[in-house]
Amino acid sequence: MNQPLKGKLALVTGSGRGIGRTIALKLASQGADIIVNFFRHRQAAEKTAEDIQAMGVKTKVIRANVGDPTKIDGMFDIIGNDFGYLDILINNAASGVGRSAMDVDVKAWDWTMDINAKALLLCAQRASKLMEGRGGKIVSISSLGASFVLPTYAVVGVSKAALEALTRYLAIELAPKSICVNAVAASAVETEALKFYIKEQLMPDTRQPTPVGRMVIPEDIANLVAFLCSEEAFMIRGQTIIIDGGTSIAPFLAVREEGSQ
Amino acid sequence: MSVEEQIRDIVANIVHVDKDLITRDSTFKDIKADSLDIVQSLVAVEDAFDIEIPDEEAQNFQNFGDFVSYVESHVAEKEKA
Repeated sequence: MNQPLKGKLALVTGSGRGIGRTIALKLASQGADIIVNFFRHRQAAEKTAEDIQAMGVKTKVIRANVGDPTKIDGMFDIIGNDFGYLDILINNAASGVGRSAMDVDVKAWDWTMDINAKALLLCAQRASKLMEGRGGKIVSISSLGASFVLPTYAVVGVSKAALEALTRYLAIELAPKSICVNAVAASAVETEALKFYIKEQLMPDTRQPTPVGRMVIPEDIANLVAFLCSEEAFMIRGQTIIIDGGTSIAPFLAVREEGSQ
Repeated sequence: MSVEEQIRDIVANIVHVDKDLITRDSTFKDIKADSLDIVQSLVAVEDAFDIEIPDEEAQNFQNFGDFVSYVESHVAEKEKA
C-alpha cells in the first residue's frame, strides 16, 4: 500500500467524530501517526484512536478545549514531551452559535471566535516550533459561510473568514520554514452533527444536492486535505480551496431550473 | 462551600439567573439556558473541580440534581485516589 506519510506525525483537532475523524483515518491510511484531539466526546475519540491503531500506526488521544489558550499549551506540552516534533497540523475543531448577526451576544461571539479562529493562531505558533528544521503542513477547515451569507451563520461565517485571512498570513510568514499553510472551505457536509442540528432545530435545513447531484461528504474533504499534506501540493500556499460540487459558482442554477419548468 | 453550592454559583453566573431559582429538580430548560450556556456551565464546572464530564454522560442528566450527583461522585473518587 502506498504510504506517503509514513513516519509523519499529524495532530487533528476535533477528530473524535465527523469530518475530523474521517481526516484522521485518511492520514493514518497513508501511514501517518495520529494525535486525536477531542473536547466533549471521549468515547468517540477513543473509538477513532482504536480504529487508527488497527491500521498499524501510532496514536495518542489528548483532551483539550482549543478555545482555551492554557489547554492548547497543555496539549502542545504533551506533544513536545512525548514526541518532540510534529509534521502536520489539521485545524479542524469548530463550534458556533446559530444566530443571525443581530442576535449574537458577546458570549457567543467570543466562544465562536476563540475556537474557530484564535485556535489556529495559537496552535500554529506552537506547532511551527515543533516543525522547526523539518518543515510541515497546516490545513484548516473553513466553510462557504466565510464568503457567502448563510442563514443564522453570522458569527461562524465571520470566524471562518478570520481563519482564511490568518491562513494567508501564516502561509507567508512560515514559507521560509518550509511549512505549507492552506485551508479547505466546504459547503454543507453530510455529517451526524449536521443532521442533529437540523433535527433539534438549531439551524435551518440548508441541505441540498450540489450540481454534482449529491452533498459533500467527509471523505471528499479528507481526500483534499490529504492532497494538501502531500509533497505534490508544495507550491500551494495560503489558499482556501473550495470543495462544494460547484454550488458556489452556480448561484442561479435553481432559479433557472424553476423558470424553465 | 459545598460542591452543590459551588456548581449552583457557576451555573447562575453563566446563565445570568438568580441562583435561588436553581433547585435540584430544575432543568436547563427551566432556567432558560441555551446550548452555549449548557456547554459553558459544564466546562466551568470541569475546570473548577478538575474533572471531566463527557457529553456522553452529560446528556443523561435529567436535572440539576443529576449534574450535582455526578460531580460529587467524581470529586469523591478523585479525593480517594
